[in-house]
Amino acid sequence: MGIEKMLFGGKAEQQVLEKIKTHIRILWSASDCFQKALEERDRDLVYCVPDLEREGDSVRREIVSKIYEGAFLPFLRSSICRFVEIVDEAFDVLEDAAYEFENLNLQLDEDMEEDCVKIADTNSKMCEMLLLAFETLFGKGDLREKNLAVRIYEKKVDEIKFDLLKKMRKKEIKNFWEGKTLSDFISYLTHVSDVIEDASDYLTVIKTSLK
Amino acid sequence: MKAEELMVKKIEFIDADAPVYDAIEKMIDKRLRSLVVKPKDEKDTYGVITARDIVFKVIGKNIDVKKINVEEIAEKPLICINRTMELEHIINLLKNYNISRAFVCDGVEVVGVVALLDVMGAALIQKAKGS
Repeated sequence: MGIEKMLFGGKAEQQVLEKIKTHIRILWSASDCFQKALEERDRDLVYCVPDLEREGDSVRREIVSKIYEGAFLPFLRSSICRFVEIVDEAFDVLEDAAYEFENLNLQLDEDMEEDCVKIADTNSKMCEMLLLAFETLFGKGDLREKNLAVRIYEKKVDEIKFDLLKKMRKKEIKNFWEGKTLSDFISYLTHVSDVIEDASDYLTVIKTSLK
Repeated sequence: MKAEELMVKKIEFIDADAPVYDAIEKMIDKRLRSLVVKPKDEKDTYGVITARDIVFKVIGKNIDVKKINVEEIAEKPLICINRTMELEHIINLLKNYNISRAFVCDGVEVVGVVALLDVMGAALIQKAKGS
C-alpha cells in the first residue's frame, strides 16, 4: 500500500476530499453569481451569494465533523480544517461584498463598474484554479504551477484595485454613509482574491507537511 | 485564449508634440512602460513611446529630455491586433516584429495592450488549467 493510499485512500478520507471539492465548487458558483449580479444589477442574483454561503457553511460543518470522527491521521487534521476555514473566510468576504453592493442600491459609476466586474470575473477564475490546485494535492498534477496561476490572477486584481482606488478618491461623496459603503464594497471585493491566494498557499504548506 | 481575455485596458495617451520629460513623468506616475502617442492631425496615426525608446534614444545620448518631443522618438504606426486574436498568433507576431507589446484595436480606437508579461501569465494559466 502506497503512502498516499494510506493517508487519503480510506472511505472517510475520500468523503472528506469530495466534500472539500464541493465546498470550493460552491464558492466558485457564488463568485459567478456575484459577477452576474454586478453585470446585470440583479437583486435576486445578489441574494444567491448569501444563499450559497449558507450552503457552504453547512458543507464546512460536515467536513469538520467527519475529520474529527477520525478521518485522516491526527497530524493532518488541523491543517485540512485550517484550509477549509480559509475557504470559508472567502465566502464571508464575498457575502460582505454582496451586501454592500445591495446597500449601494446596485449602482456603481460606469468607469468603476467595469473594473469591479473584471475583479469579480478574476475572483471566479481563481476559484476554478483553487479547485484544480486542491485536486493536485492528493492526485496528479503540479501544485506549484496552479499556485503560480493563482498568484498571477491575484496580481491582476491588485493592479485593477490600484486604479479603482484612484477613481474612488476622485469621486464626489455627498454623505458619510455613501462614502463608507462604497469604500467597504471595494475593500471586500478586492479582498476575496487575497483570501483565495492564502488558501492556495496553504495547500503548499499541506503538501510540504506530507513529504 | 484570446487577446481580449489577456489584454490590459489601462492605456495612457500623450500628445505628439509633448516633451519627452512629460512622457517620463506620466510613465513614472502611472507605473507604465509605454504610452500611446496621439495622432497630430486627421492624416496622422497613433504611435507608441516606450521606456526603452527614452533610455536608448534620449538619455543614453545625453539629449535634454525637455528639448526633444515625443514624436521625434516614437514608433509609428502602432502594431495593432484584433480582440479575437489567439495567444499563439500573438506570440508569433511579437516574435516576428521583435516587439514587447501589441495594441488591441477596435477599428481606429485603441482598447487595450498585450505585453510579454501578460503573454507569459496567460500561457502559464492555460497550462495550469490544462495539465
